[in-house]
Amino acid sequence: MTFYECEIERIKNLIYRNQRQLDIVIGMRNYIDNNYHAGLSLNFLSGIKFISKYHLLRLFKRYYGQTPKQYLLDRQIENSKEYLKKGMSIAETCYFVEFESPCSFSTLFKSKTGLTPTEFKKEQLLQSRFDFHLRTLGN
Amino acid sequence: MKVKVTGIPVNDQEKALKFYTDILGFVKKVDVPISADSRWLTVVSKEEQDGTEVLLEPSPNHFEPSKTYQKALFDAGIPYTQFSVDSVQKEYERLIDLGVEFSVVPTAMGTVKIAVFNDTCGNNIQIIEML
Repeated sequence: MTFYECEIERIKNLIYRNQRQLDIVIGMRNYIDNNYHAGLSLNFLSGIKFISKYHLLRLFKRYYGQTPKQYLLDRQIENSKEYLKKGMSIAETCYFVEFESPCSFSTLFKSKTGLTPTEFKKEQLLQSRFDFHLRTLGN
Repeated sequence: MKVKVTGIPVNDQEKALKFYTDILGFVKKVDVPISADSRWLTVVSKEEQDGTEVLLEPSPNHFEPSKTYQKALFDAGIPYTQFSVDSVQKEYERLIDLGVEFSVVPTAMGTVKIAVFNDTCGNNIQIIEML
């Protein structure tokens, strides 16, 4: 057994011993991934697992290093990038990822990616034209 | 500041390029000759071609401490870096079929699943799936 394999076992036994807690947070994350657009709240999430929202918040942060809200926002931004890449308008994208308003969406998008949704769309368009040009040259 | 490039030391750039593109599925992004036996050679994920570039750097051939560090990590089974995948099990099966050697088979570890393989250029590389 290598040093790294020994370390894997040691860390598993040290911080991942409580399988019940792991099942709760993994189930919660999967639920967010599959229902991220359904206007999720901590109250709703904790109700599903029959545990207090404060306990859920602590568990999620302990095992994933983020609060469920932070994780949800990251998922929304990642998914909105995919919608924008496909050519969807900013208003449509905002609607599909269930943001309260296009303004708050644009502000968060800029803070997470460094670009406004409009700049991001322009960059994607330029990139796809560049890729098309390269493919044409290749043929 | 932005993270645009991250490096992996490799003892053979051409062999590394073949492994990282033909086997792992990355795409060559930049290839600039630097000297007779060295290139500034980067690859990117096929699914995220505007993402962080992986520099396949020939440092073990030019800087002894790099070679020593790389070997020490390799001998201890420690991954030099890790890549994210949707399913560790599926990627493991795909790579096994292509003849890749694994030192750690798919293993659940808390909120992640990991596996570690040999990149044939002096490194252990970990693949990771968030559960």
